[in-house]
Amino acid sequence: MSEKLGKIADGLLHGKIDEVGELTQELINDGMDPEEILQKGLFAGMDVVGKKFRDCEMFIPEVLRSAKAMHAAMEKLRPVLSEESSSKAGTVIMVTVQGDLHDIGKNLAGMMMEGAGFNVIDMGIDRKTEDIVEMVKKEKPQILGLSALLTTTMPKMGEVINALKEAGIRDQVKVIVGGAPVTDDFAQEIGADAYAPNASIGTEKALELVKG
Amino acid sequence: MPKINQTIQTTPSFRVLSENQIEMIYSAALDVIQSTGARFHHEEALELFKNSEAVVTDGNLVRVPLSLVEKAIKCHPRKINLTGRTGKYKIKLEKDVVNFGTGSDLPFTYDRETGERRRTNYNDVVNAARIVDFLPNLDFFMSHGIVQDVPNPQVYDRHQFMAMLKGCTKPMVLTCVDGDGLKDLWKMASLFRGGEKEYRLEPLFVTYIEPISPLKNDKTAVEKLLFSAEKGIPCMYTPCPSSGATAPATMAGMLVQSLSETMMASVLTYLKNPGMPLIMGGVTTVLDMITTTYSYGAPELSLASAANTDISKWLGLPMFSTGGCTDSKVLDEQAAIESATSNFYAYLSGASLVHDVGYIDSGVNASLESLVMNDEIIGMIRQMGKGINTEDEYLALELIDKIGPGGEYLTSEHTLTHYKNWFQPRLQDRSDYETWVREGQKTMNDRIREETDRILKEHQPEPIDDKIQKELEQIIDAAEKRHSK
Ligand code: B1M
Repeated sequence: MSEKLGKIADGLLHGKIDEVGELTQELINDGMDPEEILQKGLFAGMDVVGKKFRDCEMFIPEVLRSAKAMHAAMEKLRPVLSEESSSKAGTVIMVTVQGDLHDIGKNLAGMMMEGAGFNVIDMGIDRKTEDIVEMVKKEKPQILGLSALLTTTMPKMGEVINALKEAGIRDQVKVIVGGAPVTDDFAQEIGADAYAPNASIGTEKALELVKG
Repeated sequence: MPKINQTIQTTPSFRVLSENQIEMIYSAALDVIQSTGARFHHEEALELFKNSEAVVTDGNLVRVPLSLVEKAIKCHPRKINLTGRTGKYKIKLEKDVVNFGTGSDLPFTYDRETGERRRTNYNDVVNAARIVDFLPNLDFFMSHGIVQDVPNPQVYDRHQFMAMLKGCTKPMVLTCVDGDGLKDLWKMASLFRGGEKEYRLEPLFVTYIEPISPLKNDKTAVEKLLFSAEKGIPCMYTPCPSSGATAPATMAGMLVQSLSETMMASVLTYLKNPGMPLIMGGVTTVLDMITTTYSYGAPELSLASAANTDISKWLGLPMFSTGGCTDSKVLDEQAAIESATSNFYAYLSGASLVHDVGYIDSGVNASLESLVMNDEIIGMIRQMGKGINTEDEYLALELIDKIGPGGEYLTSEHTLTHYKNWFQPRLQDRSDYETWVREGQKTMNDRIREETDRILKEHQPEPIDDKIQKELEQIIDAAEKRHSK
C-alpha cells in the first residue's frame, strides 16, 4: 500500500489527474487510514510541488495541473475524512466584489488553494455584499477570500467585513483580501485577517489561519 | 539621365505576418464568431442581434454568420483625426502614422518628494498632463494615474478628464466608468467645439473599451460601445488577454481570439448605427508563469502587438498598440531596456496609437520620470525610422570628389546643411570623461530627474477659457448630484 502512496506523491508532481484520483480511491478501498493518505501521499506530494515552485523548477501551468490532481484526490477523500482532518483542508469561498470584473488573480489563488487541499467555492465576479454574506451563512467556510482590482471597488471589501459583523458571523470566518491596488495597510484598516499579494502567499496565509 | 525600373525605399520596412498568414488568422476568427460565438450581458445588444441574421442561444451566446461580419467590418472609416482642446495639436490615426502616448488609471505613484509609493491623486494627473503637454515626442494623453481623492468613486472619470484638460492640450484617450460616464465626457469635450455636430468633425478623444477575454462582453462595456455607435464617437475595443490564462498560449491563437472579440464589437455597432470610427487594439501579452504577473515588459507583448498591427492595416482599421512600459518597480536598467525595445518594435510596426508609455510595475505604478526618459527614446527611434535618402545631393558624389583623399568635411557647407537632420539628444551624455566629472558625474537618472523638475516648474499649458471651465464644472456637479442620491 505504501508503494501506492509514493505513486500518489509522484503523480501529483507530474500532474497525473486521473491516476492520482484512482490511486486515492484504491487506497480508500484497501482500507488505509484517510489521514495517512492525506499526510503521506497528498500533502507529501504537494510539499515537493511547493518547493519546486519556489525554486523555479516548476511553473504555474505545472503547479496548476498538480493542484487539479490534488482536487481529484480530495473529492474522493473528503467524505471519509474525520472532522478534524477535514477542517485542516477546509472550505474557502473565493469572490470578486461588486462592480469588479477582474477574476484571473482570484481564480489562480483559488486553484492554488485547491492544491493545498481546500474545498474552494467560487462565487465568480461582481457579487453583491448581501450575496456574499448569505453564502458565508450557508456554506460556513473557514476562509473567505475577497478580490478587488480597482481602487473604485476596494471599499466593497470593507463593506463585506462590516456586513459580516452586522450579521454576527464575523468571528466564524477568516477573511483574506487580495488584488493589485490592495495593500497590507488597507487590509488592516478594513479589519481583514490577512493580505495576500499573490496566490502562493494567499495559500500560505489560508493554511496558517486554519491552523489557528 | 534618370533611371527607369527603380524602387526607392524611403523608410525601413517591417512586418511580422505575411498576407497569407493574416488571411489565416482572419479566416480562423470568422470561424470563431460563427461557431463558438461570444457572450453579451446587455439586453439591448441581445435584441439587436436577435433582430439580425445572428443567432442567440443559451440566453446570451451570440453567433454571427460571416456574411454579416464581413459587411460590418468594412463600414468603419479608414482614418480618424483627433484635435486637442486648443486646436494646436492634431493627430491622424491611419496606417503607418505612429503616435505615442501614455496609459491610464495607475493606482499608485512614487511621491517625488518622499520617494514613497502612495495612492495617485488629482494633482498627480494634472502634473502628468503638463509633462505630456510639454514633451515633443508624446502625441496623445491618457490619464497616466487614476484620480482617487474625489468625493464619489463612481464619477471619478469626470474629475479625471478635468485634471487632464487642465494640464494638457493634446488629443486624448479616455477611460470611463460606464455609459453615463462616457456621455458626460463627450458632453464636456463637445464644449470645446461648440456643439455635438461640430464635435463630430473634430473629436478630441477616443473612448477606451475592453471585452473580457475570452469572448465575453459585460454590461458597461456594451453600454459604452452602443453610445459610441449612436454618437459616432471614435472608440477602441481592445482585448487584454493574458496568453496562457485567458487566451491560448500561442501568439497566433491569442490573435485569432482577440480579432474575433473586436469583430464582434464591429457587428454590434453596425447593427446599432453603421460607421462608428473603430480602432483595433489589444494589450496582447503573457501571464508570467512564475510570478503570475500580467507582463508589460515581455517580448511576446511586442511581437503579438506588431502582428496585430499587420492585421489592422490589412483590415483598414487604425491600431492601438503598446510600448514604453515595464515590469520593473523603479526606473532602472530593466525599465530602460523594456521601454526602448517595445517602443521600437511598436514604431516599426506602424501602429496608430502606441500607449502605456511611462507605465512601471506592470501597469500599477506611475512615474513622471519614465515619461521624460521615454521621450528621449522615442526621439531616437523616430530618427532611425527616417530611412536613407539616395538622391544626388545625399549620395554626395560631387562633394566627395571636391574634398578628395585626406581632406575634411567639418567646414563644408554640405555638413552645415545636413548635420541638422541628425538626432540631438537632450538627456543622454556624450561628453568626455573629464567634462563629465567636472559637471558633477551625473547619471542618466539624475538628468531625467532634473529635467522633470524643470518641466514641472516652468511649463504651463494654455489655460481653459473661463466660460468653458464653468460649463465643465456644471457637468461634473450634476453627475455628483445624480450619484449622491
Ligand atoms: C484569498 O484571496 C485572494 C488572494 C490573492 C489574490 C486575490 C484574492 N486576488 C488577487 N490576488 C493576488 O493573487 C493573484 C495571483 O498571484 C494576483 O492577482 P492579480 O489579479 O493582481 O494578478 C493576475 C494574476 C494578473 N493580472 C491581471 O489579470 C490584471 C491585469 C490588468 C492589466 C487588467 C486586466 C487584465 C483587465 N482589466 Co483592468 N486590469 C488591470 C490590471 C493591471 C495590473 N497589473 O493589475 C487594472 C486593475 N485594470 C484597470 C482598469 C482601469 C480597468 N480594468 C478593466 C477591465 C479589465 C479586463 C476585463 C479587460 C481585464 C480583466 C480580465 C479578467 N478576466 O480578469 C475595466 C474595469 C472593469 C470592471 N468593472 O472591473 C477598467 C476600469 C478599464 C475600463 N475603463 O474599462 C486599472 C485599475 C484602475 C483602478 N480603478 O484601480 C488597472 C490597474 C490597469 C491600469 N493601470 O489601467 C494578486 O493580486
